[in-house]
Amino acid sequence: MMAELSFLLDVTRQLLGGLPLTIELVTVSVAAGALLAVAMALARSASRLAAVIVSFYVFVFRGSPLLLQMFFIYYGLGQFAVVRESFAWPALRDPTFCAILSLALNTAAYTSEILRGGLASVPAGAIEAGRAVGMSRGLLLRRVVLPLAIRQALPAYSNELIEMVKSTSLASIVTLMEVSGIAYALVSATYRAIEVLSCAGAIYLVLIVLLTRGVGWVENWLSPAGSRA
Amino acid sequence: MGSTLRLVGFGPTGWGGTLLEGAAVTLALSICAYLLGLALGALCAWGRLSGGRAVRGTIDVYTTVLRGVPDLLVIYLFYFGGGQMIGAIAHLFGATGFFGLNGFMVGTIAIGLVTGAYQTEVLRGGYLAIPKGEIEAARAIGMGRLLMLRRIIAPRALRFALPGMGNVWQQVLKESALVSVTGLAELMRQVNVASGSTQLPFDFTIAGFVLYLALATVSGGVFMGVERRLAHGERMARRQRA
Amino acid sequence: MAKPVVIEAIGVEKHFGANKVLRGVSLAAREGEVVSIVGASGSGKSTLLRCFPLLEIPDAGDVAIAGEVLALVERGGRRVPRDMGQVQRVRSELGFVFQSFNLWPHRTVLGNVIEAPVHVQKRPRAECIAEAEALLEKVGLADKRDAWPAQLSGGQQQRAAIARALAMRPKALLFDEPTSALDPELVGEVLRVIRGLAEEGRTMLIVTHEMSFAAEVSSRAVFLDAGIVGEEGSPEQIFRHPQTDRCRAFVARHLARG
Repeated sequence: MMAELSFLLDVTRQLLGGLPLTIELVTVSVAAGALLAVAMALARSASRLAAVIVSFYVFVFRGSPLLLQMFFIYYGLGQFAVVRESFAWPALRDPTFCAILSLALNTAAYTSEILRGGLASVPAGAIEAGRAVGMSRGLLLRRVVLPLAIRQALPAYSNELIEMVKSTSLASIVTLMEVSGIAYALVSATYRAIEVLSCAGAIYLVLIVLLTRGVGWVENWLSPAGSRA
Repeated sequence: MGSTLRLVGFGPTGWGGTLLEGAAVTLALSICAYLLGLALGALCAWGRLSGGRAVRGTIDVYTTVLRGVPDLLVIYLFYFGGGQMIGAIAHLFGATGFFGLNGFMVGTIAIGLVTGAYQTEVLRGGYLAIPKGEIEAARAIGMGRLLMLRRIIAPRALRFALPGMGNVWQQVLKESALVSVTGLAELMRQVNVASGSTQLPFDFTIAGFVLYLALATVSGGVFMGVERRLAHGERMARRQRA
Repeated sequence: MAKPVVIEAIGVEKHFGANKVLRGVSLAAREGEVVSIVGASGSGKSTLLRCFPLLEIPDAGDVAIAGEVLALVERGGRRVPRDMGQVQRVRSELGFVFQSFNLWPHRTVLGNVIEAPVHVQKRPRAECIAEAEALLEKVGLADKRDAWPAQLSGGQQQRAAIARALAMRPKALLFDEPTSALDPELVGEVLRVIRGLAEEGRTMLIVTHEMSFAAEVSSRAVFLDAGIVGEEGSPEQIFRHPQTDRCRAFVARHLARG
């Protein structure tokens, strides 16, 4: 019994060693993905050609497995000498960079759809009232459109963030030693899959519960009681 | 370009057949996992809506855990964990070493279990979206519980749940790629193998994209078709009003 | 001596596709005048009103606020404002009240009222709040200062929207069917507020279906008919003794109903 407990504690301690990398993967790719998504939403409204390109991008990245996307970036691009000799190669042969890049490109596709839904939900009257008092485009965006769109999109975005935390586990397949990568190594070393994977699962679960709490708090802060009544 | 077509094509040196076989396995796996998830989801939605406190609590734990843990770990758990248990049993009979399970079965169970958690929410939402008046009307004309379930609740809940069910299907299709870690020869695995043997990962990942997107688009069309059929009455009404 | 013209439409035309909504309308309101614009649905009243702050851009003709013409230029086959800065400045000098209130759902009542003074006119926040509180008092919403729009009745929302329009210290107030979206029992409270504003001598343009109210508050009335001014005159003339057949028919139909 004591031996069992100390094994679990030891496993958890080792798994937690991968937590900083997991968190890094999530935060960097979510931040980059959000920026890209906003850029795509703006491009969409700017020109018809851009809208078609963005739609295709979203179609490809939402319609195919993340694992394939990661594989494409990590292995696929290196097939060409042009890429291997280019300035980008040091980055593209780095699994951390590739994992972040594919996670960011993936979440950008989903986020841009969420953002689009949020923007579409902004009441036309609220925008018109802004124009009628003489708001400039930028002021209207900042004071009326974005606050309303973000509030509407937040629940869906919260789910996307949860998916992202879970998705980082795929980075272990391109050799990264984040929580899942360490779990895999421990399973291979100890043959005690059930114990190791339960500990790893618990770590993700706690992370996601904390994240959900955090987003819930932001949501409350953005939409004080009654404003949704 | 010509060489790419030869490689991913069906000729003697082509991998086209292999890739298509992989796509077929992906499709079969996804269908099995989806059906398992659907059955689980229906059961849990029912339990969640009309079960006692203990049942509801258990279902809540199931949906929270399975939606909060990476699918890859769930697949590992069944693949290695299942192997661990069989190994322990085999050990009693004197066998040693590591035992892997059949990837198709592992994939079906793992993904079915994960998507069952999502499906529970989708189906529950579908039921809750039925206007109360419709159920009252059924009760008012003296329908029994079962008849009401079959004639009113099920078709109406399905109508509201169908978009969400379509999303879960797309999710299953993409998640099935993770089962490649068990060595199951589905599409992702075949892309991997072909890339390795030909040293042309770019060509084969592109082929993989095309096949996954084709699967997603065609099956998405099927869902849309069903959705349109179920929404038939409302569409007719809209047309008449217009 | 006649007072200066505050707001003016000069030969305004507007069509949506093949549908000619306005076919050359000229109209002016002098300082302190209350001009009501009446007419059947589809006569172009709301479109005309929306042309003043260029919420709709006239296909021909111009609008001028306090003698300043809002410059429009032809670009890519469409008429567009030459200088959005000018448009925004002029808009901030008008108060527009919408049929459907259009309060910002993510700001409190006070937040709605001070939004434009603080962020568009860039006046000191404390001053804006003090002024907003006085305006809310005036429209009878002092106790709803911190309420959210969704918590208010339609009549309260419209009164808050009027306070929001007043907070701009507008040169003219434009009302676009301010009571059409309200339940009948809530119409009175909004009309009372508008009547009070008319008595203060504010320059106002009111598009409305409330004929008896229009007859009572306005200093001049315009009957819009199929995109042109069908008849214009004192409220006494328009509502009691119309000169044209079409205006007579319209008034008879609406007074009978009201």
